[in-house]
Amino acid sequence: MSDKTNSTTRSGFDRRMFLAGAAGSAVVPLTARAAGPAPNAAAAPDPSLPVDVTLRVNGDSRLLTIDARTTVLDALREHIGLTGSKKGCDHGQCGACTVLIDDRRAISCLTLALAAEGRDITTVEGLAKGDKLHPMQQAFIEQDAFQCGYCTPGQIMSAIACVKEGHANSEADIREYMSGNICRCAAYPNIVAAVKQAAPEILKG
Amino acid sequence: MSIAAPEPKANMGQPVPRYDAVAKVTGMAKYAADMPLANPAYAYLVTSAIAKGRIDSFELTEARNIRGVIDIVTHENAEKLKDVKLFSEGGYMSTTVQPLKSADVAHDGQIIAVVLADTFEAGREAAHRVKVNYRPATPSTTFDSPGTTSGPAKGQASRFKEDPKVGDFAKAFDEAEVKITASYETPTQHHNPMELFATSCVWTGDNLTIYEPSQYVYGLKNGVAAQLGIDADKVRVINYYVGGAFGSKGSTTPRTAIMASLARRLNRPVKLVPTRDQGFTIATYRAETRHQIQIGANRDGKLVALRHEGAEVSSRPDAYVVGGTKTTTRLYACPNVDSLVSIVHADRNTPGFMRSPPEVPYLFALESAMDELAVKLNMDPIELRRVNDTMKEPIGGKPYTSRSLMACFDEGARAFGWSQRSAAPKSMTDGDWLVGYGCATTCYPTQMAPAAARVRLQRDGRVRVEIAGHEIGNGAYTVIGQAAAEKLGVPFENVSVHIGDSDLPPAPVAGGSNSTASTCSAVMMVCDQIRQRLFRALMPNESVIDKAKETVGMGQTPVAESANSGRPLDREKAFDALGVSVVEEYGEWKPEDAPKDSFRAMQQGQVRIVGGSAMSDKIAYAFGAEFVEVRIDKWTHEIRIPRLVGAFAAGHIMNPRTARSQLMGGLIWGMSSALLEATELDPRYGRYVNDNLADYLLPVNADVQDVEVIMLSEQDDHINPAGVKGLGELANVGTNAAVCNAIFHATGQRIRKLPVRLENLEV
Repeated sequence: MSDKTNSTTRSGFDRRMFLAGAAGSAVVPLTARAAGPAPNAAAAPDPSLPVDVTLRVNGDSRLLTIDARTTVLDALREHIGLTGSKKGCDHGQCGACTVLIDDRRAISCLTLALAAEGRDITTVEGLAKGDKLHPMQQAFIEQDAFQCGYCTPGQIMSAIACVKEGHANSEADIREYMSGNICRCAAYPNIVAAVKQAAPEILKG
Repeated sequence: MSIAAPEPKANMGQPVPRYDAVAKVTGMAKYAADMPLANPAYAYLVTSAIAKGRIDSFELTEARNIRGVIDIVTHENAEKLKDVKLFSEGGYMSTTVQPLKSADVAHDGQIIAVVLADTFEAGREAAHRVKVNYRPATPSTTFDSPGTTSGPAKGQASRFKEDPKVGDFAKAFDEAEVKITASYETPTQHHNPMELFATSCVWTGDNLTIYEPSQYVYGLKNGVAAQLGIDADKVRVINYYVGGAFGSKGSTTPRTAIMASLARRLNRPVKLVPTRDQGFTIATYRAETRHQIQIGANRDGKLVALRHEGAEVSSRPDAYVVGGTKTTTRLYACPNVDSLVSIVHADRNTPGFMRSPPEVPYLFALESAMDELAVKLNMDPIELRRVNDTMKEPIGGKPYTSRSLMACFDEGARAFGWSQRSAAPKSMTDGDWLVGYGCATTCYPTQMAPAAARVRLQRDGRVRVEIAGHEIGNGAYTVIGQAAAEKLGVPFENVSVHIGDSDLPPAPVAGGSNSTASTCSAVMMVCDQIRQRLFRALMPNESVIDKAKETVGMGQTPVAESANSGRPLDREKAFDALGVSVVEEYGEWKPEDAPKDSFRAMQQGQVRIVGGSAMSDKIAYAFGAEFVEVRIDKWTHEIRIPRLVGAFAAGHIMNPRTARSQLMGGLIWGMSSALLEATELDPRYGRYVNDNLADYLLPVNADVQDVEVIMLSEQDDHINPAGVKGLGELANVGTNAAVCNAIFHATGQRIRKLPVRLENLEV
């Protein structure tokens, strides 16, 4: 052995050795640490060949030629130019990318654009009617339900769905059903107040 | 008025809705990664899988063969950027470890390669196909790891000037009637702002535009220019909105100049949106700390001796330290005080500012120890604070400019129902719940820094304010607009506010809670300059105006009777007298005690913050009292916090709505810090194992119940013209200890290591 050795010598399972699959060689090649879903090589021979997708966003149809792995979130942000929906984790953990797909809330970073073809996508940009804000948007302003504003589009989309799902009947219910959306500024009590304020008007239609 | 928009009390502004509210609820607010770019190349980072060692070689063929990959840049082919000093050492950088410069790896998750591709998807795939052959060494990663080096902060960190001490601690402690000696620990934490650490770089000729969330656009502009070796005037940083920062976006991280260099090389805009887990290692964090507190007191509760020893982890090359003893040694009256802060250098990325950097860990220790002392004395913890309250800090004998600590305790206690508390631990129950009430002092230094502003007033009453401030959720747009509207006597709706752009007049880093005090003082001063011009036109012979003019830029707003904002101004008449349609003024404001080079440094993106305990003849802090009700299930040990109450006094409150929200968020941050947040380190590999938003525990809506914020009226004429103390970092300081004090009250068990986890409770 040369002095170029892997640092791990303990017996038993070792994740890096396992990943590398090259135990015993003097210089151990390690898969570099770049996060994100590991690409599945078996899924398609060349997944990077662009595909045509038509997305219906806020009532408008858009034909896109995109990588088949493009998420709804990246399609909206990088290809359509609707940047209201935000990327906070790209893992479905934070809720900042929440949109409505066929009126149900969806984590757009975990939804492939291809899977949303033919369905109705509503983003935060599609809520106001001209200058007239959606009641939930108005309630978020009045209750000061945000600070930095980055999670806000996702909070608002979730909040509208929360009301329509019938989950805004009590503060405890609202807290529970708004818990998929992280707000690091911690505007939570004000978010609950905003949902309470807007719910009757939204349910009235 | 509503709960969200409290009725202003004396010395408070109006709770107007946020200036940027509509933009934020409609998705129109453009954050850095939202800025449109023409045909960008997407960058994807590759970060190291070892914490220490060298890179032997890369195997890049497979990655390069991915369709859409443009280039892969490593230390072997990257432009060598210039070394620039650490932010806290008079430079700009978050770390002096500059990636892509050599084969050396200094910490886990260090940037070791960048893939450039036509699409984000191709870049991501290629990054995963980069193979790296390392020659790893064993890292020393935290306290107690063999191979770390340790030494006093004084002498190695230039920001840390002294270990405060006074009197004879050893003797006084030895002779004290009642003594406490206790050790405390706080964990690694990451800011985790919702917005990722995005950077886009665009060159137009030899001019560079950077879109990046920053708490300091002038710092970033100058830092990147220094790294690239170009004139800072060629660099412009734009970020109209920052999606949360909490300290993580205050200094220049190495990624930015790398992206700028790659964009120049490609002659194409480059867009980087790093992953959430990469954010744990390409930016900073709150380092783990250890403390030993010794308190000696008389039986009546008066402190006679206090010693605070703290130790903090930093990286190998950088002596980053928060050193909260500057606060804890001055908080209470005590004639004999000693302190020592040490730094432990480990194979880690360099830590940095995180919301209330010194006070959060250091006050956790002190305020826990004060509660332990109260228990030992059989004394109410509020009364213990009252006995030791002081208007003079004990180290230098300097007077507090104002201090409403006990008023905060009294108001808070009333609202919380502290009198319902039975003193004995484990004495309050509700079914299966053990109930505990706890409290703690919170405080944060009042800080200011030089700032400049340009203000334009039109004859029709419309106003444009320009200042390179930062909207990080602090309400900067709103309070800056309010400051101008109030001074110039126009409706808030008339004011357009322009911030977040380094082509505007410089403002300091939005850190240390100095933003509102500094920017509003500068804007108010410049508005006064405008008022003087207008009054001069109306009353050309009034000499008092000239006298007032002399004070401009000297650390005060003019006090001339005629230019006083209380005096109504016939604006249109004044404009007609001047014979113009627009009046525009630029001005540079600096606080008292600001060093001589302040304005030059300000233009160069080097902040000269003054205030707190570092003032020459006084000491300025905001104070508060925090109360927590904790409930612990006696069978499962589940910990719930049904109520948080905070009462605060922070000088002039520009806007009770935005102030309340910040304080409320701070209280929840404090609760989170006590019960949830810790970055778990695998000490064998120096790796953060919970580097995502599912495993790094943060509060969600269901974790938060009643949060009550009380703002007391306080006027302080000795700090800055705006009379503002700053409160962005005030509320999350005392909460850690208040939670643990409540847990002690509920269970009789003292938790001295954060965060508190149910498995640590032995109910």
